Amino acid sequence: MLRRLGLALTFVFAIAALIVALPRPARAFGDVGAFDPRVLLVGGVTGSAHASAPARWSWELVQRTSAPGRLKPTQVRADDPAVVDAPFLWLSGENGLTAFTPQEIAGLRRFFALGGILLVDDAGVNDEGAPSAFGRTAREQIARVLPDTSPIALGQEHVIFKTFYLLRRAEGRVAGPKTLEAIVRGGQVQVVFSSHDLGGALARGATGAWENPVVPGGDVQRERAIRLAVNIAMYTLCSNYKDDQVHAPFLMRRRALPIAP
Amino acid sequence: MHTRLAVNGDLPVWATILACALALLSLGVLLAYELRRRERGGPMIVVTGLLAVVALLAAVARPVRIAARESVIGAKVIVLADMSRSMALPQNGKSPRADVRDTAVGEVAKKAKEARLHVLGFGDGIPSPLTTKPGEAASRPSNAPRSDLTSALRALGASAEERPQAIVVVSDGRLDDPGEDASKEQLQALGRDLKVPIHTVATTSASPPDASVRRVSAAGAAVAHVQLPLKVEVGCAGGLSCDELTVTARELREDGPPALLATGLSHLKDGKGTVDLAVTLDRAGARILEIAITPPSGDTIPENDRRLLTFNVARERVRVLHVAGRPTSDVRALRQWLKSDASVDVVAFFILRTQSDTPNARQEDLSLIPFPVDELFTEHLPSFDAVVLQDFDAQPYGLERHLPQLARYVKAGGGLIMVGGQNSFVAGGYANTPLAEVLPVTLDGSPGATAADVAAVIPAWTDDGRAAPLLSPLHDIVGEELPTMPGTNVLGDVRPGGLVLWAHPTRTTKSGAPMPILAIGDQGDGRSIALGLDGAWQLEFSQLGARTSGRGYGALWDGLLGWLMRDPRFEPGQLELVSPCVAETQALLRVRLPSTSAAKDMTVEVRRLDKQDVPPIRVEVPRRESSSSSAVEISLPPLEAGGYTARLKLGAGPTTRRDFACESGGDEWADSRPDRDRLRTLASATGGSFHDATDDLSLPLPKPAVVSAERHVVPLAPSWAWSLAAAIFLGVHWFARRRSGLT
Repeated sequence: MLRRLGLALTFVFAIAALIVALPRPARAFGDVGAFDPRVLLVGGVTGSAHASAPARWSWELVQRTSAPGRLKPTQVRADDPAVVDAPFLWLSGENGLTAFTPQEIAGLRRFFALGGILLVDDAGVNDEGAPSAFGRTAREQIARVLPDTSPIALGQEHVIFKTFYLLRRAEGRVAGPKTLEAIVRGGQVQVVFSSHDLGGALARGATGAWENPVVPGGDVQRERAIRLAVNIAMYTLCSNYKDDQVHAPFLMRRRALPIAP
Repeated sequence: MHTRLAVNGDLPVWATILACALALLSLGVLLAYELRRRERGGPMIVVTGLLAVVALLAAVARPVRIAARESVIGAKVIVLADMSRSMALPQNGKSPRADVRDTAVGEVAKKAKEARLHVLGFGDGIPSPLTTKPGEAASRPSNAPRSDLTSALRALGASAEERPQAIVVVSDGRLDDPGEDASKEQLQALGRDLKVPIHTVATTSASPPDASVRRVSAAGAAVAHVQLPLKVEVGCAGGLSCDELTVTARELREDGPPALLATGLSHLKDGKGTVDLAVTLDRAGARILEIAITPPSGDTIPENDRRLLTFNVARERVRVLHVAGRPTSDVRALRQWLKSDASVDVVAFFILRTQSDTPNARQEDLSLIPFPVDELFTEHLPSFDAVVLQDFDAQPYGLERHLPQLARYVKAGGGLIMVGGQNSFVAGGYANTPLAEVLPVTLDGSPGATAADVAAVIPAWTDDGRAAPLLSPLHDIVGEELPTMPGTNVLGDVRPGGLVLWAHPTRTTKSGAPMPILAIGDQGDGRSIALGLDGAWQLEFSQLGARTSGRGYGALWDGLLGWLMRDPRFEPGQLELVSPCVAETQALLRVRLPSTSAAKDMTVEVRRLDKQDVPPIRVEVPRRESSSSSAVEISLPPLEAGGYTARLKLGAGPTTRRDFACESGGDEWADSRPDRDRLRTLASATGGSFHDATDDLSLPLPKPAVVSAERHVVPLAPSWAWSLAAAIFLGVHWFARRRSGLT
């Protein structure tokens, strides 16, 4: 009996010693460099249109990819100096925006001057994809911030549709238009306009139930909406990495395959 | 004092001649015409006429007596003796050509006693004086790297000194300038500026039995990773029989034996042949190529069987392999910076999905491709100038087995930057691996080693960091201010030869030194950088970044990558040879130093590329005041033929290096054949004469000039006396004629 106990103790000690002997992995250096879907507070917006959506976005990113994400995303006012502390902002809403103040415009211009990316997600879009007052006023106000450029359509050939998943169109809570719209400056997408209520598809309550039905495609469409969100996050972190020549032959072959259900 | 008579100085020469001619004519008329009239007093008429003509001539010429102190000055003749290294070639297997040259110069001096001989040596640029005493020219070695007669003649023409009246060139005729294909007009132009004849004396007539690499020419500049066509001209002379010669091109390397780059066979016709070789050099900077032939038996000059050539290999674009373990804001910032620089060609691989991730999709729905680790780190690795490992774990992706290869790549001249993160350095499994040996810092590979310090930290500038040229652009932008970083990788002490630029403000290494956060170091032929942070992107996205327009991040990476690629802007000093290095003779190395180096100990270490185990030659660089010139020239001791690396060490930090070649033969020995025809043509084109050194060297030189040092001019009689005498004699003559009944 004693011998058995001794053997067991020796085994436990050996395992413990082995664990101690392994180099301790570095804990993440906080989550400063992780993807942070920061909610932008500007023009009367006081928070995310779907409160649970930013954290869910990060969670989906972390589960599906190697990219780190902030599970407790932050929010920042456009006129706060901290608006330039990270490269991504998310502006969503249902109601029309009030005119941006000069301080807010200046803050956003500083953000864009450093190469930041803003996602404007129209949460008030109807089931047919017609922009809400938010969508229309957001375009007007962003035009005041970046008066030198106009939005253009981004189709499936754009890198944002292949940064992680190969997507053929944009979708969110509603199917909406097939394309995204974007303001591109210096070859980089700086503002993405979505008329799909991406946050609506991502929002999930504390009980684990999805907060909003997705029309018309249901859960399959929701999955594609999540994939689009993941792709936007990957575009933020990797830029146009998937446009590199080394990926071209692979992606061309896969694009030729039949559409997944 | 010499005394002589002359006509009055105010009389033009033509008037004197005219007067004399008229006088002679008058005398002729008197003698021929009047002497026949004997019956009528002809002789009297002739005598008085003669006296009258003479008196008249004297009245016109008004003779003077000149007393002068005079000296004879020989014509200035410049003898240009060929001092190029080709004159050190043996003459008929015995004494060198230089001996014949010295004898010929002595002979010319002996035969041209009336001339003022100035003996100058020509080689590279302005000719310099030599002695005229026979035998003493040999005391100056024939070591000029070129034989540039054109420059020597131009320098004489441009000189403010007295122009020579003739030039004598003593040479073997194997001149760099004028070249072998110079036309007669070009040769005439050489003498036209000086307006003097050029006499030539050939020292050598017969070619030695010799096979050689005569010329290597490259089609364009050498660019890293780009094939460079080389045209190699080879030759056989002096009765050697060689129908074909094998030519090889090899690169001399620090990390191993010379690497064979190309080989070819040249078929010779009339003793000459060419072969085209294509070589590809992977590393930028000064690279040493050996172009060699396999000589036939009977070759008497082995030194020119191989050429050691320094190629300054440029980069068309810097090829960077960027490997990231996961996408983060730091990865994003670095990628965007790399892609924004048109001079950087970046190949990137990011790990977007690990085995534990569940993308919830078929493989076909993902844009992911396999990470080609084996292909990248074996086949393609040499094609990259730098490798960036950012937050990358070596273990899960099979990089571990390629770490020895990656370490060899760095030691062979590649660049490596390891950027921090939760998967870097100790956490990435790099401790106790060959790659750890080429990092500028040590890594703790002991059991339970701490991999990261997750406390927020602001890196502290070290003194070396403030003085380092690679960080000066960043320092100029942000000053001492750096953003708060979310943590650091735990790094060990800096290795010997490394330099810590940023350090942890509180954490120390086992030795008690502040823990490095940013360190750089030399690793063999290459360089490496350790950046134990993943928050450098905050130089761009932060309030500091906003104040500085995000320029700090670009400035940091511009310096890091530039230093890795040995961009002169970021080097602590610069080295260059003042003139080509010749084996067994002293070489001069110019050291350019930054103003911050004044207080540091500086040495230059010279080591043979193929003898790394031999201790280097160390030469101290003299200390200087900070206000003094930034360039210092130091002499290297005589070196054997071969490829060398000179490293400038400033204090304990990384070195600046310069590779160079020392040749025994060099350009001047590449073609050992004398060229008498060129000397003959030069003499003929400029109105000079051609001679063999064995001929009688009595050259047709200009006559000496007479120069008066003191001169007194006294009239023999006043002018009125000459006029009176002329009037009297003319009167007597008139009287005589009247008595004879003549008019």
